[in-house]
Amino acid sequence: MIEYRNVTKSYGGSPVVKEICLTIEKGEFVVLVGPSGCGKTTTLKMLNRLIPMDGGDILINGKSVKEQNPEILRRNIGYVIQQIGLFPNMTVEQNITVVPRMMKWDKERRRKRARELMELVDMDYDTYANKYPSELSGGQQQRIGVLRALAVDPPVILMDEPFSALDPITRDSLQDEIKRLQKQLNKTVIFVTHDMNEAIKLADRIVFMYDGKILQAAPPEEMLRSPADGIIREFMGKHVQKIRMEDELNCSDIMRTRIATISPQRKTLECVELMSQYEVNSLVVVDDNKNYLGIVTIEDIRDHGEAGQPVEALIRTDAPCVGTGQHARDAFRILVEKKADYVVVVTPENRLAGIVTKSSISKAMASALWGEG
Amino acid sequence: MSLQHFMDTYALKLLQAIFVHLGYVVLCVAIGSAIALVLAVLLTRIPRFSKLIMPFLSILQTIPGIVFIGILYLYTGMRPITVMIALSVYAIFPVLKNAYSGILHVDEKYKEAAKGCGMSSWQTLFYVELPLATPSIFTGIRMTVIYLVSWTVLAAMIGQGGLGEFIYRGVGTNDNRLILMGAVPAAVMAIGLGALLDKLQKKLTPRGIRLQEQSESGQSSGKGGI
Repeated sequence: MIEYRNVTKSYGGSPVVKEICLTIEKGEFVVLVGPSGCGKTTTLKMLNRLIPMDGGDILINGKSVKEQNPEILRRNIGYVIQQIGLFPNMTVEQNITVVPRMMKWDKERRRKRARELMELVDMDYDTYANKYPSELSGGQQQRIGVLRALAVDPPVILMDEPFSALDPITRDSLQDEIKRLQKQLNKTVIFVTHDMNEAIKLADRIVFMYDGKILQAAPPEEMLRSPADGIIREFMGKHVQKIRMEDELNCSDIMRTRIATISPQRKTLECVELMSQYEVNSLVVVDDNKNYLGIVTIEDIRDHGEAGQPVEALIRTDAPCVGTGQHARDAFRILVEKKADYVVVVTPENRLAGIVTKSSISKAMASALWGEG
Repeated sequence: MSLQHFMDTYALKLLQAIFVHLGYVVLCVAIGSAIALVLAVLLTRIPRFSKLIMPFLSILQTIPGIVFIGILYLYTGMRPITVMIALSVYAIFPVLKNAYSGILHVDEKYKEAAKGCGMSSWQTLFYVELPLATPSIFTGIRMTVIYLVSWTVLAAMIGQGGLGEFIYRGVGTNDNRLILMGAVPAAVMAIGLGALLDKLQKKLTPRGIRLQEQSESGQSSGKGGI
C-alpha cells in the first residue's frame, strides 16, 4: 500500500504539488492524468525519490521513503520512462538484467530471469537476447523497457508516459499488454499520461490532477458519469473523439481505419515481418481492390505456414465481421461474447472499411456520455 | 657525401630516433590520457570545479611548446623527464576536453533511466556514461597522438633525441636530406598511428553504440535525400 501524506513540492518558490493526499491499494492500477504542468510527473517521481519532496511524506507499506537509501529504494520500484531509455551500449538481455546486476545476482540466475521475462511478452529469447536496442522497433524497445522495470519482481511499477512516443497501433497493443501483465503479476502500477483515452482504458482508478492538486480520484466509469469539476469535463471532452449520441452510432462511426493489411500473394515471412513492425498478431487480408478476404494470424503461420509460401492458404474466414451500417452495439456484443481482439467492418460491397476494437468502443461511449463535449 | 655513405652513416641513428620518438609519443599519450580521464570524471562529478580548472588548462595549452619546455628545462634540466612532463601536460587537454564534454552530453534519458534503476553515481559512470562517451574519448586521444608526434620534435631542442634531432641538424647544416629524414618518418608515424587508433576504436566502441550511430546517420541521410 502506498500513501501520499500532504506531499508538497515547489520549484523556485512556485508550488507545483500542493498538499497531495492519496492512498493506493496493492494491485491497483492508478493513472495520474491532467494537462501538462499539473504536477503529475513530479508526484510520480517523488515516490522513488528522483525528485525530493519539500513537505509531507510518502509511505510504502507504512515505511517512509525518506528513511530508505534512495538507490535501494529505486531498485525495488520498477521505473519506465517516456523516451524508453534503454542503454544503447547494452544488449537486450543486459538491459533487462541491469537491476539484478546491481543486486549482485549471479549470471545463471540473471539469464534465467531474462528468459522468463521475455516469454512473458512473447519475445523469443534466442532471437532477441543478444540484439541491441537500435535493432528493435519502438514497440519492442518499450516492451524491453517494461521488462527492465519488472526484472527483480518489484511490487510497485512507475510509468511516466511510457507509450506517448509510439504510433497509435503499437501503443494500443502495448496498452493491452501492460494491463494484462499488471493483472497477471498483481502489480501496483502508477501510470502518468495526458491522454484521457489511455487513462480510461488502463485505470482501475483515475486521479485527475490540475494545478498541483487532485481534483478527483475515481474509477473511469464514475469519472465519466459524474466528473467532479468543470475542468475535468472540459479536459475529457477535448481529449475524447467527438461523435453522435450512442443510439445513432453504427460501426462505421466508431471503427478505426488505420489498420495493418496484407495482400494474399505476400509470403509468410513478409507477413511476420509486418506483424512485428505493427506489433500485432494478426493481419487483415485484402486483395488489390480492397475486397475483404479474411485474416491471417501468427498462430496459423507458426503452426501451418512454410517459409516462402503465400499467405493465401492460411487465410481464416471465420473472424468476427460486421457491416458498416450495422449498429455499434452489435460490434460491442461480438467483442464481449467472442472475447475477440477486434471485429472487422466491411462495406455492403464486401470491401474492408476498418476494425472495431475495445478502445474504439470506450472512446465512443466516453464522448457519447458528454454529448458534443 | 654519396647517398650510400649517407645511408650507412645515418640508418642506425634514424632507426634509433624513430624508436625514441615513438616511445615519447606512446608514453606521454598514455600518461596524459590517464590523467585526463581521471580529471574528466572528477570534473563531471563536481561541475563547479570545472569552471576553475578548464580555463586554467586552456591557458596552459596556449603556451607554445617551445616556451614550456624551455621553462621546464630551467627546473628539471636536460633530461628525458623534462620532455615527458611537457608532452604529458600537452596530451591532457584534448583528451580532457573531449572526454568531459562526451560524458556531460550523454543524453539525459539514459542518466534518468540509470538513476531510476537504482544505479549510484559511480555505477552510472561505469555502466552508462563512460561507454556512451567512448567515441568522443577516442576522438580526443586520436587528436592528441597526432599533435604529440609533431611536438615530440621539440625534444631534440634540449638534446633528448627523437626525429627532431635530424630536423635540427638538417636546419643547422643546411642539409635538406637530413630534414627530410626527420620529417618524413614523423609524418608517416602520425598517419600510421591515426589509422591504428581508428582500428582500435572500432574494436573498443560497444557494438550497440556503433549500430545506433549507423542507424542514426542512415536515417538522417535518408531524410536529406527526400
